[in-house]
Amino acid sequence: MTTRFNLTMQLSMAIVLALLFQVSPLQARIDGITGTNFTLSVKTGRVFTPDGGSILLWGYADGAGPAQYPGPTLIVNEGDTITITLNNALTVAGANPAPNVSILFPGQRAEASTTDPGVPGILTSEAVPGGSVTYTFIADHPGTYLYYSGTDPALQVEMGLMGAIIVRPSSGAGFAYNHPDTAFDREYLFLLSEMDPRIHEAIEFDGPQSTAVGPYLANPFPVVWFINGRNAPDTLDIPNLPVLPNQPYNSAPMMHPGERVLLRVIGGGRDLHPFHHHGNHSRIIARDGRLLASSPGAGPDLSHEVFTIKSVPGETVDAIFEWTGKGLGWDIYGTPADGPQFVHTCVDGNGDDFDDTTHEYCPDHDKPIPVVLPDNLDLAFGGFYSGSPFLGTLGSLPPGEGGLNPHGGFAYMWHSHTEKELTNFDIFPGGLMTMLIIVPQGASIP
Amino acid sequence: MATGYHRIIMKIVLTGSLFFLGSSSVHAGVLVQCPGDADGSATWTGAEVQPAHTKCMHLGAGDGFVTMADGKLQYVFGFSDLTGIAANTPTGTAEILEAGTTAAGFPAPLIVLDEGDEFYLTLTNIGMSMRPDLFDPHTVHFHGFPQAASIFDGVPDASISINMGSSLTYYFKLNNPGTYMYHCHVEAAEHMQMGMLGSLYVRAAQNGTVFNYNGKDFNKFAYNDGDGSTGYDLEYPIQIGSFDSAFHDANLAVQPLPFATMFDNYSMLNGRGYPDTVNPNPLPPPAENGGKLSQIESTLITASPGESVLLRISNLNVTRMNTLATLGIPMRVIGKDAKQLRGPDGKNLYYKTNSITVGGGESYDVILDIPAGASGKTYFLYTTQLHYLSNDAEQFGGMMTEIRIN
Ligand SMILES: [Cu+2]
Ligand SMILES: [Cu+2]
Repeated sequence: MTTRFNLTMQLSMAIVLALLFQVSPLQARIDGITGTNFTLSVKTGRVFTPDGGSILLWGYADGAGPAQYPGPTLIVNEGDTITITLNNALTVAGANPAPNVSILFPGQRAEASTTDPGVPGILTSEAVPGGSVTYTFIADHPGTYLYYSGTDPALQVEMGLMGAIIVRPSSGAGFAYNHPDTAFDREYLFLLSEMDPRIHEAIEFDGPQSTAVGPYLANPFPVVWFINGRNAPDTLDIPNLPVLPNQPYNSAPMMHPGERVLLRVIGGGRDLHPFHHHGNHSRIIARDGRLLASSPGAGPDLSHEVFTIKSVPGETVDAIFEWTGKGLGWDIYGTPADGPQFVHTCVDGNGDDFDDTTHEYCPDHDKPIPVVLPDNLDLAFGGFYSGSPFLGTLGSLPPGEGGLNPHGGFAYMWHSHTEKELTNFDIFPGGLMTMLIIVPQGASIP
Repeated sequence: MATGYHRIIMKIVLTGSLFFLGSSSVHAGVLVQCPGDADGSATWTGAEVQPAHTKCMHLGAGDGFVTMADGKLQYVFGFSDLTGIAANTPTGTAEILEAGTTAAGFPAPLIVLDEGDEFYLTLTNIGMSMRPDLFDPHTVHFHGFPQAASIFDGVPDASISINMGSSLTYYFKLNNPGTYMYHCHVEAAEHMQMGMLGSLYVRAAQNGTVFNYNGKDFNKFAYNDGDGSTGYDLEYPIQIGSFDSAFHDANLAVQPLPFATMFDNYSMLNGRGYPDTVNPNPLPPPAENGGKLSQIESTLITASPGESVLLRISNLNVTRMNTLATLGIPMRVIGKDAKQLRGPDGKNLYYKTNSITVGGGESYDVILDIPAGASGKTYFLYTTQLHYLSNDAEQFGGMMTEIRIN
């Protein structure tokens, strides 16, 4: 038995409303800021956890905006010269001054700019309290990258100073890399991290002079885990929630059958997180911004399929996920025997075995589901259960059950398979977890 | 202290069982669905005819006890194999509940399937005889099943789970060979720490044909490789796992569960720590189980010189990743996550190594080619996280087994 937090109850109706009424733009895009010149500021903020608690944050802010966890996702184009000015607006408790801050750009040939006002640090040029530093690099390789503090990183990354960089290839925004096999219909970011609140509390009360921090940093013991800076179930809520002022990004992947979804998975903390995506395998096409190609132009010929992405600290993984329900052995849209509303066709004009519109797998068309589901009295229901085994169908559920799946989608948990990490401060469920919702063709995706 | 603790457990065993049996007639929903099987035994006997490519199994979900390699009695949640008991008969429900009570096995019963099978897996929720205050539902999550349907994925948040006293039959059409795993997904951090974890693999359709690879004929293969490069002579499931005994003790004592401080102190392969891993027999059943075996799986690997041994390695540890290494025989890694290591245009991505690092929810297919002159030798498969070579405070144990060459 665990503390019986019901995921359904924890989630606000905002999600359902957003799913129902948000009109779909062209493609789901990763939230972030675009351009070639960025101004980031290091500030304090609060990371709010679903149990109602909060943790002191040192975060990168977009200029005058609030501190963010993670920092703003910088979305840039291949070949552009990127300039990033970092202001140190950090304030701390205690008698000691605020620390210097900085940014490292692993995978980029970043340098301090020629007009850099920063001071030399051990790993890179740093901004003193109240001061600035300027970095520049040419985004010469498309892909997914991480940026994080290069000043006392064991402490400062733990405090929140990290974020993602996406370099779009010259092939265009619908490609991960410059090869047709990297085309995608949708993309989602999964920036994985963890926090040890003891460290944040010590910094909050005593500032950098805290003597408690050292032992904690030497032997960290995180008890909260994040995707894109949020813990489940907040991961599933809408972006830019006023009640989460420093955690603007969500993680709520959705797709239609037959689409290619690009997963950009980043190990943003210090621990390995086995990221298990239910539903199907994904194909890992790149690591650390480099296509898994045997030679230039070969495409991802060294790619392979996994059901769990081993996300290790500091590494980025790009993977393509697809789902059609191929070969299940039964018709996921129901059969006439299930009722007149399930009568449908499977039209395979192009001979690929799939319906040309719905991507239904035609060889399984009109095959009945091979087992009888138990009576409702014998079952417990999930908040994301539609009440029906069939895609796009809402079945009848007892009052108060279901409700988070207005399109009758298929729901799949995407989560750390270190299941301990599915908790928030001792409370299950939570943590490094979200749900993929596969909705039928025609259902809009925010 | 051990004796006092023992007594408390015995007391709970008795009172718990009585309470449970007295209140078990909830919906009387035990029902096995298996084509061609009339009595719900999930097997075909007498006049019953097994349809082609059909397999059935009946698992119970409940609790029980296992013994750690240092002798500690450990309370677990787990699955039991109820296949063979006629469930769909007037006395079936009572027989199933009787057989499934305090019958949790660790690891869960091994599931071996063949590509092309249609698999009907019935899960009956027996209930927790030691925790009559619990009414937890359960599921089976077929971890890694490709192109999964949400209804049979076993994630309680996403679809359905089965209540105490009732059965749910899952259906899986097996189109893809490889090494998977399975576990309950209800309150996963708890039910998986408590032991609802098992090995599951699907044998390749290519089996039975002959390919010559490296001068040797094979008729068994991990994957449909077309060239024999995943051929093997012997196969062994190796499931990595570990327990936090404080968490299990708190669960048995109906204490708040320490999720945040969860820290495993027993590291195991297939539910045992060394030297129990090399015991070829089932471990003696704890008295608290009423004579029911709970640890039947040995991890002793035996082979002859020249043989190729396929290790189907999975990790269902809920607190950490693990590294497994071999001493003396290199690992030939030919698959990961139930996929042959081969690029989309056919380039083999196999590699040789002495260690693999496996996160929770990952699987690896590793072939050990036993050298011709190895007769009589013993090799080791062990974790290089050397502090996990222990059974709690007892050193030289934990996540290790032996590879003995005939
Ligand atoms: Cu369970
Ligand atoms: Cu799993």
